[in-house]
Amino acid sequence: MPEYLVIFAQFHMDFRLPELESLAVLEGVELVYDRASYTDDHPFLIVNLKSDEDAQRLIRRSILIKEVVRLYADEKTFEDLLDVVRDTKEIHGPYQNSSFRFDVRAFGHTLSQEEQVERIELFCFLPCGAVKIKNPDVVFTYIEDYGTVFTRGHYRPEKPFRVLFGVLVAKGDRGLIHTYDLKKRKYLGTTSMDAELSLVMANQALARPGSFILDPFVGTGSFLITCAHYGAFTMGSDIDGRQIRGKGDRNIESNAVQYKLTNRVLDTLVADLAHHPWRQQPFWDAIVCDPPYGVRAGAKKLGRGQKSKVPPGPLEPKKPNGEQRYPQTVPYEMHDVIVDLIDFAGVHLVPGGRLVYWLPTITDEYTPEDIPTHPKFRLIANSAQIFGTWCRRLITMEKLHDEPSDKEAAQGAEALSASPAHAKFRSTYFKEAQGKLEQLKLSE
Amino acid sequence: MLQCHAKSCPQGQSYPLAIRNAELEQLDAEFNADFVTRLMPKLDWAVLRKTAFELGVAELPAEIPTEPTQADLQLIHKVALETRIKEADMVCNGCGHVYPIKDGVPNMLLQDHEI
Repeated sequence: MPEYLVIFAQFHMDFRLPELESLAVLEGVELVYDRASYTDDHPFLIVNLKSDEDAQRLIRRSILIKEVVRLYADEKTFEDLLDVVRDTKEIHGPYQNSSFRFDVRAFGHTLSQEEQVERIELFCFLPCGAVKIKNPDVVFTYIEDYGTVFTRGHYRPEKPFRVLFGVLVAKGDRGLIHTYDLKKRKYLGTTSMDAELSLVMANQALARPGSFILDPFVGTGSFLITCAHYGAFTMGSDIDGRQIRGKGDRNIESNAVQYKLTNRVLDTLVADLAHHPWRQQPFWDAIVCDPPYGVRAGAKKLGRGQKSKVPPGPLEPKKPNGEQRYPQTVPYEMHDVIVDLIDFAGVHLVPGGRLVYWLPTITDEYTPEDIPTHPKFRLIANSAQIFGTWCRRLITMEKLHDEPSDKEAAQGAEALSASPAHAKFRSTYFKEAQGKLEQLKLSE
Repeated sequence: MLQCHAKSCPQGQSYPLAIRNAELEQLDAEFNADFVTRLMPKLDWAVLRKTAFELGVAELPAEIPTEPTQADLQLIHKVALETRIKEADMVCNGCGHVYPIKDGVPNMLLQDHEI
């Protein structure tokens, strides 16, 4: 299969490969690459794909991939690269009468206009038609990689350590981040997820036309919007009805109207995940959520006042809000949130369905065993977004089927509630959340 | 899709919830035959039909159409995507628990003693 160069955004690095792989599943594209060749330090990955068409399908809804280039040369020096390009007959023939543009990129360095022109001119042997900046027939892409190692120090390398050349074949969909930019959204809450990660989550959830997706901690409905954008029917529930209804004419529904997604953002209801009203049946193709661990809320409290002894944020909106018949609530400990969430997903996801959720961990103390396991699930991806001492991880799990198989039993996957790794995870979390484990009356 | 989940509710009678005192609202949702076709397999047809009939929204065919015509799809679109219950009580046939729908948002919370 031909070689292609995937050019990622140098952002949310830990999410890039999982997104790429989810997109391959979603689009049914055969994708081959060497995992060892990937590093977070560079935005480049060489992959093998069947065709340009596959490349286009693969990244047409990618948020973290900028472009895919059909790779013709990957050399140490510019001179070698020119030789290789000169000898690559297949790019000399087809573009003789094509309008073209030359993109010169540098990673870890900035090339001046003059330097760029200098490079382009040395490619003058390429037989081409006229230059056309907008929508040319072909875009040649030349890339110099100086690496981030150098840019971190003051040392400025004279030469790139790697140069690449190819023809642009596909573009990602990063522009969508602006479409769903929170700044332009009418109804927001303190916990609204930024557009970029919400969209990545929709990709992780394999949101597509016809899939049914639930957010059981819907809040202001960020994920309903992004999943519905990709054609999924979405519903949400939250114990806090005030967030759903919003204020005046600003609520989840008005967001759906704003983005013209009303026929896919179906409904939202007030319900508690711990005592939920959903019928016991596999129904959802994906469950996508940012469970309320109290990290963000707790962190905010810490930042505001001197008193840091606020318990980890309860799931509930804390107090009866004055409305009649509003039940009392108790704090929903994170351990229980996760157990309930995964158990819920185990029952209510269809086989092959995905659970995509955020899990907070402490950066230093994290070990892979902290990730909850469940015999019905397989871990697909675990991507960290680091905020100094703590980080949140986007966990993607796939429900295998409704019956546990021998293979799973052999792996010794434990039910979540019995997992020792989980107990550790919980205590770790609490230490981070408020710094005083003793204060918490942990059971067990 | 929703059932009564009160602890005291007799088994087997917690679904479907009956809708009482409904105040309906007609929305305008763009019709897309594709969406409706994808929605259909997820619907509990008998319950949807009964509810739509009781609410006076539409009379759906007795059986879910296997090869739905454009008219069938339009009708399902109207029932499932364009009809919104603005205010109502959802009543459990088993235990009589009432779940209110307010501003189109069902409140499925139980009282704390019921869980």
